[in-house]
Amino acid sequence: MGDILNAGFIQELLLSTVRMATPILIVSLAELYSERAGLVNIGLDGIMALGALVGFLVGYTTGNPYMGILAGAVAGVFVNMIYAFCVINLCAEQIVYGMAINIFAPAVASFIYKIYFGVNSSLIQGPLMEALPIPLLSSIPILGSVLFNHTPIVYFTYLMVPVTAIFLNRTKAGLNFKAVGEFPKAAESLGIHVIRQKYIACIICGALAGIGGAYLTTCYINTYSDGVVSGRGFIALSAVIFGRWMPGGVLIAALLFGFADALQLRMQVASSDTPYQLLAMIPYLCTLFALAFFGIKKAGPKANGKPYLREER
Amino acid sequence: MKLKNILIKILIPIISVIFAFIVGAILIASIGGNAEEAFTYLFKGAFGSSANLGKTLVKATPLIFTGLAATFAYRCGVFNLGAEGQFVVGALISIWVSTSVEGVSGVPLIILSLILGALAGGIWGAIPGILKITRGLNEMIVSIMLNYVAVLFMGYLYTGPLREGSVPQTEAVNDALKLGRIYEGSNVHSGFVIAIIVAAIVYYFLFYTSKGFKLRAVGLNDTASMYNGFSVKKYMLMAFIVSGAIAGIGGSVELHGMQYRLMSGFGTGYGFDGVAIALIGQLNPIGTVLVAYLFAVLRTGANTMQVGTGMPTAVIDIIQALVIVFAVAGSALVNLPNVKQLFINITSKKQEKVVQE
Amino acid sequence: MKKLLSIFLTMCTLLALLTGCGASKTAETSTKDSKDSKNKTYKVAMISDTTISDGGWGAACYNAMVTAAKEKGFETQYTDGLKTADFAQSIRSYADLGYDLIFAPGNQYSDAVKEVAKDYPDVHFALLNGTIETKNIVSLLPDAKQIGQMAGALAGLMSKTNNIGFIGGMELDTTKDKLANYEAAAKAVNPNIQVASAYAGSFSDTAKGMEIANSMITSKNVDVMFGDASAVDSGARQALASHANAFDIGQPGDLVKDDKTGVIIGSVVTDNATMIKLCMDDVINGKFGNKTIYGNIENGGVSAGTFSDKVPEDIKTKYLEIVDKIKAGTFIQK
Repeated sequence: MGDILNAGFIQELLLSTVRMATPILIVSLAELYSERAGLVNIGLDGIMALGALVGFLVGYTTGNPYMGILAGAVAGVFVNMIYAFCVINLCAEQIVYGMAINIFAPAVASFIYKIYFGVNSSLIQGPLMEALPIPLLSSIPILGSVLFNHTPIVYFTYLMVPVTAIFLNRTKAGLNFKAVGEFPKAAESLGIHVIRQKYIACIICGALAGIGGAYLTTCYINTYSDGVVSGRGFIALSAVIFGRWMPGGVLIAALLFGFADALQLRMQVASSDTPYQLLAMIPYLCTLFALAFFGIKKAGPKANGKPYLREER
Repeated sequence: MKLKNILIKILIPIISVIFAFIVGAILIASIGGNAEEAFTYLFKGAFGSSANLGKTLVKATPLIFTGLAATFAYRCGVFNLGAEGQFVVGALISIWVSTSVEGVSGVPLIILSLILGALAGGIWGAIPGILKITRGLNEMIVSIMLNYVAVLFMGYLYTGPLREGSVPQTEAVNDALKLGRIYEGSNVHSGFVIAIIVAAIVYYFLFYTSKGFKLRAVGLNDTASMYNGFSVKKYMLMAFIVSGAIAGIGGSVELHGMQYRLMSGFGTGYGFDGVAIALIGQLNPIGTVLVAYLFAVLRTGANTMQVGTGMPTAVIDIIQALVIVFAVAGSALVNLPNVKQLFINITSKKQEKVVQE
Repeated sequence: MKKLLSIFLTMCTLLALLTGCGASKTAETSTKDSKDSKNKTYKVAMISDTTISDGGWGAACYNAMVTAAKEKGFETQYTDGLKTADFAQSIRSYADLGYDLIFAPGNQYSDAVKEVAKDYPDVHFALLNGTIETKNIVSLLPDAKQIGQMAGALAGLMSKTNNIGFIGGMELDTTKDKLANYEAAAKAVNPNIQVASAYAGSFSDTAKGMEIANSMITSKNVDVMFGDASAVDSGARQALASHANAFDIGQPGDLVKDDKTGVIIGSVVTDNATMIKLCMDDVINGKFGNKTIYGNIENGGVSAGTFSDKVPEDIKTKYLEIVDKIKAGTFIQK
């Protein structure tokens, strides 16, 4: 256990935390946009899977991981449009749609992978995005390499946090956006086009979730396999609640989960006697306890999860 | 009027299945497969022989349980997404009971095991319930987290304390404790009968008792119910507990009737399917049973289709997901005011015509 | 109302027609089947709970089956991504369709195989890593101990930091065997070796593989790794690639040839194809059943794969000598 306290271990742990937190953060932000407009989307896992495949495929065929990320975003938007249409226009049950996407999108991803790549004895490798260290800042000892020596997508993700905060709290567009999730009828009467805002939310959500998936297969590791997403979409859901629907809170939540996951893995390596399943439960139990002790009554956008019918009076 | 409503409610799943099949056929054709052959296998697989019919019923049994669990919860306006965890927890208690309890055996032990399974599921379901009513927490997330915890714990048990020898799985349930077959030569076990009985009980409770009525009232409009003096919180909690208990029995039944032991992958997917089934079945226990059967038909038939034609299994998943997508969209579509108006216009035109003649 | 009724009736008729078509097609295909049995084309099928494009166990087993089938003239088919509850059903479907040999690549299918084998005495079942022998079930056992020892010996010889690592997928008994022998063999080569191990809990979470490998490299100074976790191993290799002088030993295929990362220095090859071929022979000449087919160094079931150029000649020679000792069972004194 003594190696826990050495600097190398801590640096590696922090680095790992940042790496593991990124996909969770970006997907949580996606869900944040969606829920702030009143749409609960639990299909993120599925969208990520498709984003991962498309990102990998495009990255592989073009040799350019950035194209992969872009393609992942586009794929995410497409899939989310199915959700959007059925949930916004048809007012179907959001939960079920999310789950249908969770079955549908990974199946499509698996299907395309098999058709395109067939069976191989080792996983096909695609291009890996290179880390882009920020010139001066990355030379700061420990913190420098932990925070400033990453791929651009990581920077993008963390930048999205203040951008989202500014958008939601300080711009008129953002306030309108939030209004749609809180009191859609009042918003409508003020001239805000509720349906359009919800669609915009779905586009942003789909794009970010797609990027999150593509990140996994073009920046984090450079291969695709079924199951690469491993439930990160669901952790994102709890991160949004944990973070009380605020970008800053979501950031903390994502970092916490990344940390718990990174720590749990290292604890496994350090003490191979403890059954790994008990260690693997830690992130989920943490969420539960945090929710139980810190959850607030009736938090969240008030019209979250409720279908919006223009005709209802 | 009522007949028309029922007809519409039945038509929607049927039409969605047809649409999903059409898309599936296009997909199959696009990779060079023979769509007609594929669907032949599908029907053969689900209906082609009495063994296959039996396979379908066996597949339907756990789906009926999770579907009922979701239906019950939905009727009270709460989302129980934790059916998977409750299912697993029920099975966990059952395997422990079956392999550790001395002194009782045979049918009484099975009954004990099932009851404990229900209790375990109920307790597991109560957790999100309690958190919801005391802290206003979103029950969806709590139940999803608990699913993971339950499955991981099961994994710990079958690789550790309850492990049997060389493989990560528990001991098998003793032969004396396996649920009996309904008729010789088929795989259909009495768990199916139990499922139907539970469905009947739920139906009776929801529609023919005053408690059931109050529960549904809470689900339809909790503010009005509160003003009418119904204890909304109590009913919600009850909904969670009963819903969890139903899923728990489902897990026990699956263990005693089909799987006989816990291993990796036990119970996967039944929870979420249950929610979809509940919705497509229009939150009616009878509808739930029928739709669960439909899902089982799809699964069983699709399995045979995959084996017969060599399609990647992903095609099956896509078709199933499409059925859900279309069916839920269809039900929602039909409930939209615009569409309802459309129906009324069509049918009232008919009446006008008749009157004029 | 009438309109709706007519629509409803049309739907029902459509459904009935479809089913009717299905029934007549059934008659046609069954006569086709009986014609086939006259000039017998043997058919073999494989089921799997993981995907076969996993770059590991699934792919290796599938390729083994296909290789064997090509040589023996069998038709092949596979079903992957199966849920546990569907194992028995898929096997039954293949049996119903007249498949002669069904290949189940893992111990987790034992229950399903036993159940179906009872009802289909004319269908043959090959269970990899199984422990069952009946009239129509044969178990194929690659020697996990030897595999572990071969990997451990190579790791022990090549490690410069005296720290080596092991990643398991799930805690299968074969994995535990491999790990124990990995450690024993490495220590026999170099008594100062320390072994770090972890279980990813999955055969598909590549990212986890990368994290585990990373943490082993940075906090435990590991420089050679061995994995039993299919897709997870790919992630580990990626982590190894980003550190200088960190290597991996592959399995169950011969991975050095296709390796672009330069990280794989050798493999422990499990020749599932040969074992399957033996099964196919037995199916054709009717001698199937009641035995366990072992795969070990002696019969070529387990062998050392190609070395990469990072392995110096003297280590190669030493290693091959050790392999002989492992074959004779004299390497590790138990």
